[in-house]
Amino acid sequence: MNNLKKYNEIFMKVFSVEEKALEELEYQGIDEWDSVGHMELIAELEDGFDIMMDTDDIIDFSSYKKGIELLKKYEVEV
Amino acid sequence: MSRKFLKGKNAVITGARQGIGRAILEKFAENGADIWACSHNKTEEFETDMAETAAKYGVEIIPVYFDLTNDKEIQKGVKEILSVKKEINVLVNNAGITCRALFQMTPVQKARDVFEVDFFAPYLITQILSKKMLRNKNGASIINIASTAGIDANSGRAAYGSAKAALVCLTRVIAEELGSKGVRANAIAPGIVNTGMLTYDEKMLDELLEESLLKKIGEPEDVADTALFLASDRAAFITGQVIRVDGGLLL
Repeated sequence: MNNLKKYNEIFMKVFSVEEKALEELEYQGIDEWDSVGHMELIAELEDGFDIMMDTDDIIDFSSYKKGIELLKKYEVEV
Repeated sequence: MSRKFLKGKNAVITGARQGIGRAILEKFAENGADIWACSHNKTEEFETDMAETAAKYGVEIIPVYFDLTNDKEIQKGVKEILSVKKEINVLVNNAGITCRALFQMTPVQKARDVFEVDFFAPYLITQILSKKMLRNKNGASIINIASTAGIDANSGRAAYGSAKAALVCLTRVIAEELGSKGVRANAIAPGIVNTGMLTYDEKMLDELLEESLLKKIGEPEDVADTALFLASDRAAFITGQVIRVDGGLLL
């Protein structure tokens, strides 16, 4: 599975959203992406890409698009 | 054969080498839990102790070593725990250091040192591990070993008591924030317990015991029994609580 597919599937699984909605997805933009949902998302991403994110990056992870940018720090090209 | 209350559960215990942490480890192993036993230094004695305890109860015990005063080391140690692809069902933040000095005799740096181990280390460990716990199908239990010093105002406990009070507050906040996902968080507040951290002189100890209801000092196993209960499904409806295990001090 390529990284984009994996990244998308994690979002779809955690937030029960369709792929077409991902591009515009933002933190607290939907009910499911609340603070607890955020931690679930991070845990899935850490597991999926075998990384451990810094707290500052977890805080900065404000949208689907921002996440792609942040993952580069961990040598994950989405 | 007695029932094993933690059969099928995996637990992380910090400060597992001695005192209350070692008693909790024994109790959890006896009750069927697989354990990550966290300690500061790798020694042959500890490795042997863990291997023998694992064999005695037929469980898996994995020693993990990291320094609680160093965030990078904590992250490395926790990553080692996470590299084992098993659910983490129980986290016991037990490791701590003590300090007995009057407020005016406690430099800020000393207070910072105590907070580093007694508050910030469990804060960071829980922050990382709870992300994984949130995804458990059947929830998880976080147990913070606080102290009656974090509830009562004891002379000489400015640094230690304040750090433990902060830990109590953190416990409640975690319970509030993670409860909806089935993660419970409780604190145990031991009173006078027979460990290497006992810092009372004989006269002070006699006075305290005289005022306590049970007139005796507690054993690490008394705290371990409470931790076992909180870790088990028997405590499935208990969260956000601070349970005193103190023989009836200051009632």
